[in-house]
Amino acid sequence: MLKIQDLHVGYYQDLNILQGVSLQARKGQITAVLGSNGVGKSTLLKTIFGFVKPQQGVIALDGKDIIGVPSHQLIHMGLSYIPQRQSVFPQMTVEENLEMGAWSFRGDKARIQEGIAANYLRFPVLRDRRRSPAGELSGGTQRMVEIGRILMVNPKLILIDEPTAGLAIRLEKEIYDLLVQLKEEGVTILLVDQNIRQAINIADHVYVLELGRNRLDGPRDQFADFKKALWL
Amino acid sequence: MQYFLSLCATGLVMGVIYALMALGLTLIFSILKVVNFAHGEFYMLGGYASYFLLSTFTGLHPLLAVFISGLIVGAIGLVFELIFLRPIHKGQIERPSEYAVLVTVGLSLFLMNLSLAIAGPIPRRPASFLAGTVQLGTVNISAERLIAGVCSLILLGLLLLIINKTWIGKALRAVSQDKDAASIVGINPLAINTIAFAVGAGLAAIAGALLAPIFSVTPDIGATPSIRSYIIIVLGGMGSIPGSILGAILIGLVESLGTGYFPDPTRALNYKMVYGLVIFAIVLLFRPRGLFGRKET
Repeated sequence: MLKIQDLHVGYYQDLNILQGVSLQARKGQITAVLGSNGVGKSTLLKTIFGFVKPQQGVIALDGKDIIGVPSHQLIHMGLSYIPQRQSVFPQMTVEENLEMGAWSFRGDKARIQEGIAANYLRFPVLRDRRRSPAGELSGGTQRMVEIGRILMVNPKLILIDEPTAGLAIRLEKEIYDLLVQLKEEGVTILLVDQNIRQAINIADHVYVLELGRNRLDGPRDQFADFKKALWL
Repeated sequence: MQYFLSLCATGLVMGVIYALMALGLTLIFSILKVVNFAHGEFYMLGGYASYFLLSTFTGLHPLLAVFISGLIVGAIGLVFELIFLRPIHKGQIERPSEYAVLVTVGLSLFLMNLSLAIAGPIPRRPASFLAGTVQLGTVNISAERLIAGVCSLILLGLLLLIINKTWIGKALRAVSQDKDAASIVGINPLAINTIAFAVGAGLAAIAGALLAPIFSVTPDIGATPSIRSYIIIVLGGMGSIPGSILGAILIGLVESLGTGYFPDPTRALNYKMVYGLVIFAIVLLFRPRGLFGRKET
């Protein structure tokens, strides 16, 4: 579904963070990208979503090169992104945030209501807090708003960066269970994570980056003993 | 008491008109993150546009001329944003903050000198909306000011309705709160920037055109309303729409009451801006982010 080849990315000339990364996110699977801090995992997702321009390489979604496609148009190609930092609209209510997820089909009131109802069914806490400004919610509930907002468009591929960073442990399990549930519903997920154990538990395929390059990759089974596999 | 009420009525009317101009500046700042140093010149252009429209098309209703002026100056703002400000948001400018100051100050100087070359330094006054005064209960108020205030109030209401209830308004709010998140949901932030700048310029022009029959227009008339607008948006809290409206009404009232009760009436008008600045300093002393300022995230 998503194929990346020989990707070189940097914020300064001649100082690339990613130096020839190649990977694939296969349809209907969870693909995890692991690696230590500063290895370029978040930069990888920002580049796929068009927030950072690569120096070199190919990013193909369903065979079509998406480099240069403006970020706001990627949603029409079925691609969604949840960054590591909180990205709710803080002064808007929970319900307004969910409505904004329906921007690409804003004329279709019935579909918007259906999407919001489905989100309230999936995340009952959002129904209870629907009139609250999203910026006043806890980190975990804000994450649910972000996930709910992108689910309004039924994305084919979700890029998600550190889904449980800064969240309470009981919420971690809830979020990872949700990612597995989304996979079962047919959504492809490309996950970047520092939570190695949980990421390997839910992933179908794992890539490990080191110093901006591929270090190793393989199906989850190869990483069953993750400490040994990663030489930790 | 009647004198006090009369000053309050004038202050409220002026405050609503100030709000129109300050709201334009707030829209531009909160969405583009650019302080528009040419905002006063958009106000001035609105006055001139109204004057020349009414001089050229003698049958044109003065209020219609006001709104056409807003459209003309809004279009000028749109073109300016596309040519000079869009490169900032496309990441093509190495030092965006300095660049934004330079191009908006440059536009301000250009428009002022262009007006001087075309219209000359003589004050121009477009046709009045309505002469005389209107009695509201026990209070007398100039008909021109009242009409200008009512028009501004209607426009403010309409604008708030658009911002809060329509998709385009929600997109403006979304981009002002988180540009990247807006892109993620499919909103084109570049298009929203252009709309915000054009609307902001148009609002300043409408305020200028509404006040032109009262204060006349000269090439340098934009300086005072421009400074007042900066005071209002900082007082209300940078980027806050309710803050701008409340701040403008507060400044309008304080200016009117300060002028009315100054011990020496012959010099009262000279200190008009000072009364607002005193309130501004007091509010910032206790609320450094302004009345409705957001915490930086």
